[in-house]
Amino acid sequence: MGNRRAKGRNGEDPVRDYVDSDMEAPRLLTLLLMLLEWTRPGRASPLRPICDLRVLKHFIEEAKDAEAAMLTCKEGCGLPEPVTVPQTKVDFNVWERKNAPEQAKEVQSGLWLLSQAVGSLRGSVTDATLHSHIDNSLRNIFSIGQVLRSLNFQVFLRAPCQEYPPPGVGVSGAETWRVSSASELLQVHVNFLRGKVHLLLSNAAVCQQGGS
Amino acid sequence: MTNDHLKKLLVYCMLCCTQKIIVQGAQTFQTKVALLRHVEPNNPKCFAEGIRDLTCFWEEDEERAGSAKQYSFIYTYQNENSSECNVTALPAAGGRILYFCRLSQTQLFVPLDIQVFRDGLLIHNRRLHIELFFLLDPPVNLTVKRTEKQGQLKASWMPPPLKYLDDSMMYEVSYVIAGTQMGQVEEVRASSEVILLGLQPGAKYSVRIRVKLDGVSYNGYWSAWTDPVLMATLPGDLDPLIVSLTLIISLILTLLSLTVLLSHRRFLLNKIWPVIPNPESKFQGLFTVYGGDFEEWLGYSAGGLCLRPAYFYSEELPAPLEVLSEVSLDLPSSPLPPKAKQAPGEDEKLKRIDSLMERWRETPHEHWLMDQLRVLHQLPGPQCSQLESQDAYVTLNAQNHSGEEPLDDILEETLPLQALFASGRTCSESHSDLGSLQQSSGSGRLSTQSSFEYPNHTWPPKGPGYTYMAVADSGVSMDYSPMSSSRIDYMGKGVIYTNEYRNEIPAHRQPIPFAF
Repeated sequence: MGNRRAKGRNGEDPVRDYVDSDMEAPRLLTLLLMLLEWTRPGRASPLRPICDLRVLKHFIEEAKDAEAAMLTCKEGCGLPEPVTVPQTKVDFNVWERKNAPEQAKEVQSGLWLLSQAVGSLRGSVTDATLHSHIDNSLRNIFSIGQVLRSLNFQVFLRAPCQEYPPPGVGVSGAETWRVSSASELLQVHVNFLRGKVHLLLSNAAVCQQGGS
Repeated sequence: MTNDHLKKLLVYCMLCCTQKIIVQGAQTFQTKVALLRHVEPNNPKCFAEGIRDLTCFWEEDEERAGSAKQYSFIYTYQNENSSECNVTALPAAGGRILYFCRLSQTQLFVPLDIQVFRDGLLIHNRRLHIELFFLLDPPVNLTVKRTEKQGQLKASWMPPPLKYLDDSMMYEVSYVIAGTQMGQVEEVRASSEVILLGLQPGAKYSVRIRVKLDGVSYNGYWSAWTDPVLMATLPGDLDPLIVSLTLIISLILTLLSLTVLLSHRRFLLNKIWPVIPNPESKFQGLFTVYGGDFEEWLGYSAGGLCLRPAYFYSEELPAPLEVLSEVSLDLPSSPLPPKAKQAPGEDEKLKRIDSLMERWRETPHEHWLMDQLRVLHQLPGPQCSQLESQDAYVTLNAQNHSGEEPLDDILEETLPLQALFASGRTCSESHSDLGSLQQSSGSGRLSTQSSFEYPNHTWPPKGPGYTYMAVADSGVSMDYSPMSSSRIDYMGKGVIYTNEYRNEIPAHRQPIPFAF
């Protein structure tokens, strides 16, 4: 960084060198880039593959509990407006024609839609028990995203209430439909987890290689 | 030609295989229909054998049943248009008709609405999720093997070949002892093998298995049981704990028995090996001094044998009876009846007897006999023989009985009986031990008492003759037998009355012929 001249013989202040002032900018810039690199959001360490399907089975059971609780609700448990939910039907002839990324994309899109729909239901439900079930369902949807990430599926679901949809998800796509009741919404939630999510996780390539 | 033949052969094989598959399929279908008939109450009864099919059926009585064309099977997936399935009719058991419809392309994880119409009328309506109505085929290749450990069997099988459903299957393994109902059922999840524990060693087990989906993502009915497979477990070895306990208990029992045996060893030895009695104590000096020479021992102890007359004789022999004196106040002064062939030495004895008779007349007191005995002892009596006895000497006088044959004058039983103890008695005897003869006229009764009673009255006169009687007193009875032959000539007709005394002489007498 240039040599500094020592003080003069008579203690006079040294005149600053032009070279030193030019070098300070790169230094600062380098330091700044290092800091930005460390603080860049969304860059997590690689997760261990979660191939144990008991986790998903636990989520499915809790989704069933929420659906059963919603069937007993008569008041204060409706959707404020119809919501868009993913299609849950699985035609294996069609499903098997899709590759893994396409399947993953379909699953994560559906999870996003469900998170949005269940989130809107959370705001309109006043019953405390149902409220807890809905919160639990939202947390489980986020956890499934984590499981997908661990299986090296590219997931764009970063938050339970992400404002912007992942790329490729259409509002009125063929793979979606609209529901107007809470019970239908939770039933879709259960069917989606039991169907497409389960099929995707049970046939993840990472888990097949490791010999689950 | 060859190609044509090959083609025909190939087609024939395919037809045969297809026919076989169809037959098996039909049997399987009938089996599943029979199984669902009992477990599913709703109509139509539907089941999925795979991830792409669905079969629904219902039954109608033959009376109400119509042709298959009369029925319409309409199915509608959620948010989709309705579709129709062709209905097929088959004869069923009990005179019923089975109608069924099979879908070859299905959608799972979505509600399905099913409606059945007969001549335009809705007869059945049902909503279901196909993934919750699986009825799978039973597992195949069930194999049961023994493990290295006792009481264990390893069962393995091939799950139904269904993609995506492997991790959702659960199995039920039933194992019972062959021929019995003693068994258990074990549940197995997401695995195609199991080790059965806690089995009886050396027993033959019948193992079978069935499959069902676990109900999380998929569900359905239990499949039919597989054919049973028999396998015997390893024979049981001795449990070390049982062996050790058995050894400890046997050791304790052995110690207890030894303790009992040792405490009673003398008693047991006497019972098992009794000691041979040694009479050495009875024969003092026989073995120690004379070395077992009995003759020498007898000679040494000859003087003392008088003390042991009982060792040589089992019963007392009768001793000769000799009249030593006569007691009668009216005795004539005439001398005694003459004795034949009297020895010269006997004159003195007779004189002495006469003197005794005179003394009797003079001193008729109870103790006169004692005095007489003392006098007799002074006489040189017979040598004390080895056969000395303590018997009493009794004289019997003849007696005339009325109604009986007249007796000789010798037998004077009316005369009092005179009992005198023989001379030469052992010194161990006391003179007080004199025989007692109770006088009885004609009865001849004698008691076994050893006391002597001598009446004060005078003795009746002695008969012209008298006989000698040997009296043997065994303590129980007194045996009298004629002994002396010196008076034979006085017997007359020779009838001698003998009396046997068993505590009491019987009243009647049995005359015995006189014989010597």
